[in-house]
Amino acid sequence: MQDWLIHPVVQGALLPFLAGLVASALLAPLRLAGLAAVAGFATAVYLVVGFEFSPMTTIRKVMLLGLIAPVLGVAADFAFKPKRAMAPLVAVASGALSVWVFLAVLTQKELADALLIGGGIAAYVAWQVGFTLSLHEDSVRAGAAGLALGMGTGVAAVFAASATLGLYAMALGSASGAFLLVQMLTGRRILAGIAFTLTTGLLAGLLGATTYHLAQLPWYVLAVMAPVPLLARLPIPAKWPVWGQAVALSGATLTVSAVACYLVWLSSRGISE
Amino acid sequence: MKQIVAGLAFMLLPSAGVASPESYTFDPRHTFVHFGVDHNDFSTIWGRFDRSSGKFTIDRQAKTGTLEVVVETASVSTGDGVRGDRPRSRDEHLRSPDFFNSAEFPRMLYKASTVKFNGEVPVELQGQLTLLGVSRPVTLAVDRWKCAPHAVTKRMICGGNATGALKRSEYGMKWGIPATGDDVKILVTFEAIKD
Amino acid sequence: MMRRIIIGAMIAAIPFAAPAQVENYTIDPIHSFVNFSVDHLGFTTIYGRFDKSSGKATLDRGAKKASIEVSVDTASVSTGDNDKGARARSRDEHLRSADFFNTAEFPRMTFKSTAATFNGDNLAELDGQVTLLGVTKPLTLKLERWKCGAHPFNKKEMCGGVATGKVKRTDFGMKYAVPAIGDEISLMIGFEAYKD
Repeated sequence: MQDWLIHPVVQGALLPFLAGLVASALLAPLRLAGLAAVAGFATAVYLVVGFEFSPMTTIRKVMLLGLIAPVLGVAADFAFKPKRAMAPLVAVASGALSVWVFLAVLTQKELADALLIGGGIAAYVAWQVGFTLSLHEDSVRAGAAGLALGMGTGVAAVFAASATLGLYAMALGSASGAFLLVQMLTGRRILAGIAFTLTTGLLAGLLGATTYHLAQLPWYVLAVMAPVPLLARLPIPAKWPVWGQAVALSGATLTVSAVACYLVWLSSRGISE
Repeated sequence: MKQIVAGLAFMLLPSAGVASPESYTFDPRHTFVHFGVDHNDFSTIWGRFDRSSGKFTIDRQAKTGTLEVVVETASVSTGDGVRGDRPRSRDEHLRSPDFFNSAEFPRMLYKASTVKFNGEVPVELQGQLTLLGVSRPVTLAVDRWKCAPHAVTKRMICGGNATGALKRSEYGMKWGIPATGDDVKILVTFEAIKD
Repeated sequence: MMRRIIIGAMIAAIPFAAPAQVENYTIDPIHSFVNFSVDHLGFTTIYGRFDKSSGKATLDRGAKKASIEVSVDTASVSTGDNDKGARARSRDEHLRSADFFNTAEFPRMTFKSTAATFNGDNLAELDGQVTLLGVTKPLTLKLERWKCGAHPFNKKEMCGGVATGKVKRTDFGMKYAVPAIGDEISLMIGFEAYKD
């Protein structure tokens, strides 16, 4: 049992997928299925390093935000009527928050570098949060975005020398996949909400930025991951069955992720630098 | 007579102020922190940190001493530093957030303020290791110690070996346990030049 | 009649006699390193390793026989000082020069075993010949650690361990700076090998 639990595929994909599945299935009637994303992420964190927040390292700040986001998301889903300005505002706030996350590493750099890198990271996180958040009312599009953002960031991170970050991101992707699967099997949509989209957008953005800044992810791979939430908005005929929509949208978003992963793989072989 | 007595008394006074603390700087080309860790229960993987710097003070009369060593975590070297066809080499993996996270924690610091002596020879150092932002007590046993003038430069050198052990999980470095061991054996080989 | 029964029984028993089953192994270069240590001026020990080596081994558990052949790339010597900075040369460069390993002329150091001693099922000792700087001398390696089994993740059959030994470098003609830099070299070899 011990041997099985330390296997990376179990930690990063299998158990997070199951956690996402259980969360989606059981919490859907309560309109809380969006918590599937954090369920998957938290499962991986628990298995890989456990919940420890001291000292507060960069990755632990990401973990903390990943756990707070769904709580804020549930509050937002139930308490507010989201306005159109919400997504951009939260996006900007997330960008600012990312500077806090990376402060320890940014302050070690020359001012010019710190501003450039900090600005780039803030922009990437803001982008992913903003465009993923705007999918909060369409659970199939949200799921397709989460799946590709998670799996793409995760596989890229493994190639970029950090298996820990890779497992966290793949857990997000696996749980999103489970979220989609439940809808595909029942033929009915379940609420994704801000709980799901804020968590996936913020975590995918932060994990990608962490892999760039602390491991060996080339910056342009983040640029290639940017279109993922946009592709999740591809026009799809509404009369298609849920599973058909899920497959089509996931196919589109995963294609972008595959390109990103291929680029990391190439760069790690020293071919495209 | 008074002068003779005064002179004798003066000669008998303990030589206070003569043995003051001496301070030494580690020679970076002959001082290395080595470590060994179990691999999959089959073999031991050894490694070292190529770059470190530090100083120590020693007062053999008062039997006290202090030590401060800074190790550059990015200089970790285990013989597999060239990735070739793979996504990363072992040394690159060790620098990543999975292990030393050297982009965020470029330095590891060991500070000792308690030294145990056996006569004039230091035999144990008790101090704190700060790794990945976590500080924990680490004791090093001094297995070898010799102070003498360097055969060529004639400068005073103290050199030796010190050993210790730690559990990397206590510093938050949990990746790969137990496949890559939690228990890490430390060996420090050093030479220091008197300031 | 009795003789026939006995002969028949012996013939029938042949398949059950431990057949000589020779397994072939290839050394995993990323998890196998020759480490060495040498005294420096009587003050401290300098440790080093060879980053590149390759080798093959055979193991016959039934007959309790083993053999190994290892080739070490001498230019891959690494002692932590490889950047000369403002100096004429770094320590590693000096080690590669004719004063020590003379790697341009002798790019390889080899060890070929001649006999193996087992302690029960475990390999305990390997006797063999080491060739360095063109000189061949005997060397006995003691196995401090030995284990054969399946790799926990990829499940491939493998054997691994740690072997130790000592050589005198002057035996091979490497006399530079003895005794300031010690004559006796301690070897510490960590290795892992996969079954072919």
